[in-house]
Amino acid sequence: MSPTLLEEIPPPRLTPIGGVREALQRRWARPGGRAYAVLRWSGATIFAAIVLGLVVSLLATASQAFGHSGVSFLWSGTYNATKDIYPTGIFIVGTLITTAVAIIVAVPIGVGTAAFLSELAPKWLSSPLSVLIDLIAAVPSIVVGLWGLLVLSPVFAHHVEPFFKAVPLLEWFFHGPAYGPSMVLAGTVLAVMILPTIVALSRSALTSVAREDREAARALGATRWQVVRTAVVPGARTGIEAAVILAMGRALGETIAVAMVIGNNYSLPHSLLSPGATLGSAIINNFGEANPGLDRSSVVGLVVVLLGITVLVNVGGQLLLRSRLRTQRAAP
Amino acid sequence: MTIDITTTAGISPEPGPSSGSTAAVALRDVNVSFGKHRVVRDVTLDLLPNRVTALVGPSGCGKTTILRAINRLHDDTGGTVTGQVLVGDLDVYARDTQAELVRSRVGMVFQRPNPFPTMSIFDNVVAGLRLNGVRSKAVLREAAEAALHHAALWDLVKDRLHSPAVRLSGGQQQRLCIARALAVEPEVLLMDEPCSSLDPIATAKIEELITHLATDVTIGLVTHNMFQATRVSDYTAFFLLGEDRATGELVEYGPTEKIFNSPSDPRTRAYVSGEVG
Amino acid sequence: MSGTVFPVDPGSVPDAIGARRELVRRSARRSLRRRRIMGRTAIVSCTVAVAVSLAPLVALVAYTTSRGVHALSWAFLTHVPTPPGIPGGGISSAIVGSVIIVGLGAAMAVPVGTMAALFLVERRGRLAGALRFGADVMTGVPSIALGIFAYAVLVGPGSPIGHFSGLAGSFALAVLMLPIVIRASEASMRAVPRDLWEAGLALGVRRSRVVRSVVLRGALPGLVTGNLLAVARAVGETAPLLFTVLGASLVVTNPLQPMGALSLTIYSDGTQAYPAAQQIAWGTAFVLLTLVLVLSVVARVASARLNRQAR
Repeated sequence: MSPTLLEEIPPPRLTPIGGVREALQRRWARPGGRAYAVLRWSGATIFAAIVLGLVVSLLATASQAFGHSGVSFLWSGTYNATKDIYPTGIFIVGTLITTAVAIIVAVPIGVGTAAFLSELAPKWLSSPLSVLIDLIAAVPSIVVGLWGLLVLSPVFAHHVEPFFKAVPLLEWFFHGPAYGPSMVLAGTVLAVMILPTIVALSRSALTSVAREDREAARALGATRWQVVRTAVVPGARTGIEAAVILAMGRALGETIAVAMVIGNNYSLPHSLLSPGATLGSAIINNFGEANPGLDRSSVVGLVVVLLGITVLVNVGGQLLLRSRLRTQRAAP
Repeated sequence: MTIDITTTAGISPEPGPSSGSTAAVALRDVNVSFGKHRVVRDVTLDLLPNRVTALVGPSGCGKTTILRAINRLHDDTGGTVTGQVLVGDLDVYARDTQAELVRSRVGMVFQRPNPFPTMSIFDNVVAGLRLNGVRSKAVLREAAEAALHHAALWDLVKDRLHSPAVRLSGGQQQRLCIARALAVEPEVLLMDEPCSSLDPIATAKIEELITHLATDVTIGLVTHNMFQATRVSDYTAFFLLGEDRATGELVEYGPTEKIFNSPSDPRTRAYVSGEVG
Repeated sequence: MSGTVFPVDPGSVPDAIGARRELVRRSARRSLRRRRIMGRTAIVSCTVAVAVSLAPLVALVAYTTSRGVHALSWAFLTHVPTPPGIPGGGISSAIVGSVIIVGLGAAMAVPVGTMAALFLVERRGRLAGALRFGADVMTGVPSIALGIFAYAVLVGPGSPIGHFSGLAGSFALAVLMLPIVIRASEASMRAVPRDLWEAGLALGVRRSRVVRSVVLRGALPGLVTGNLLAVARAVGETAPLLFTVLGASLVVTNPLQPMGALSLTIYSDGTQAYPAAQQIAWGTAFVLLTLVLVLSVVARVASARLNRQAR
């Protein structure tokens, strides 16, 4: 039968009450029993069916739009005689910019926090602190979006964005009117949401650096900071890279909060202060009103593109994480 | 029980000669505790210049603890050290002594080889120099070559200095760690059971190394292998758990020959004849 | 074999070594101050980073509480929404809707997920590996895709229900929860020590019995936490419900009909320009946040308590 986790152990001989009972018990004592096997296989089959169904159904619905535009769907979306309805390229740019802002903001803060928790904090402090930071991940994205829209956006419009405009070097990034909803606001909201991921994974990477490596540096005359810089961080590098990539994946998948703060503008953003659109926000804002047929198929096409990018990034991060575990075990 | 070392075979510690040569390490009434638990009590012994001193005894008697007290590694683990530790004329635990500076004068090799896994062989060897602010490429190269020669590793790695250190075998990695410790030209080299995770051939190579290294550094060697002590050391300090079965103490200290052939303390005699431990 | 004593003349240590020794000592001393300062800078930066990390949590909870608490009242929790501009409305339809939608979703996801986890635990080989990989990938899928999938399967023309319904939302949430349940359950079951498995099997007990009495019982704390956390996640989701559940301003209990949900209320009211609507959004957000945090805390406490019982 199927290979199982443990070796088969034949049951001990029972006192013969009836040959049939014995025989049955011997039969069912092997890998499970039929009912159990059916249970397991149905669970697996249903799950597999759902995953396949998801992919097939989305591709099927989007096929009309793909067929209509071909590869050019990826940048110009579906072209309608009167206007570009769904300029995929602009949505992709928006997605990339907001994700980039999120990473730039969240990674230094997240890795610094992880370093604090791993190297500086006394034990009684690091556990409760990391629980608190994980709690941010528990907050529903709609609540974060609401807060971003009603609290953060005015603050950005009146204080943060003008501040960035005033900084001489950043002019190229920050120009134009500061209304609030913008790329930079969306990026910041995303940063808040991916921070726990970065902190948790980076912290795990830092603490898993062997004590022996730290001791070696210390015994050579390194200060505590030097120990972290020369022994800990290089050892944790792969883990931190994986953390960043997985956080990117998380940012890509986050649609509702971004939709609330990005301003829904379909022209190419010329500054971080401009409102824009991402794949996620475009999907949310258009699916409801899309007419069945090419219209709706185009929106689902956007879903397929978003799914593709997200899965690629997530898989990349997972593979990196697994390769790090492998090299750790291989080191003597 | 404190041992007055002037009573053992009439040898007294020589004061460290001036710059360019090794210094003695002097421990006087050193106690190490973790919280309320005293791990080792009242240790008075010397690591004589250019000599190999072995610290032997069964596991858990405080030999490693005492070794780590010399380069202040207990600062990081929360151990409390009382008594006096002198490296040459430097009072290791004086209030104005910087631990990092002590550690650049007292090197350490650990039980399991621990080269920095992300660095090449060369970067590993010069790591200590870089950490202490030495930048000059010429100095680094010179020091690396000298250190690798001393560790009997130069011929093996001279053509692949920039390959990853983890590709070396266990014994080679340990010699790399020795080279790394030597590159900063310490006056004292502390070795904590350096061969315990190695095979007999690698062990023999390192034992051979130890006897040669003593020309340039003072060596303190912790080992649970009596025979290794007899093979490589000049002086031996024998540790045992005290009567309370909780705190280690120094039982006897003297020239290796005497400790193993004509020990003064009955406990020492019992241990070296194989009756216990 | 006695240890050899080297006849060393202290003055014979080669000059090169002595010179290098002096160089290192000097360099160590000189650089120490700089190294210490860099260390202190690093400590300050990391402390600032921690403070900045905690700030959003504090801000989120503080604002949601301070603005949402005002809206809270018995009427708020028990009345249905009123047309815009008319006071006295509440979110009872959303509360009931969320409970039903998430409840049905969990009822679908937990059994299937546990069964699939058992499959992964019992079986090695490429099929299991592929399934596990699929679960890992699915946890990262944007939830909007799941909503649109549910739309295609249950809401769109030609589908079994054919119109917006609570069940479609439940299905979308179930698909969301499934990979979380699978991974958490598999991990918990694998954490049960092998000896317990083997002891049961060695007694000749049928494998399914072993699993039921030994493994599931041992894995219970982890299973409870995993499932509760999956539910906490589902309760807060909005995107999967947008195109499946539609929303309703009456209390609906029939899952085949469109219904309301807490997250939908927040979305639809929060994005309006009227302060009254925004106030309702804040109140709902406060209720939702409290619910989610309570679920998370209960999950951890329950697992800790069950862990203690097991010992």
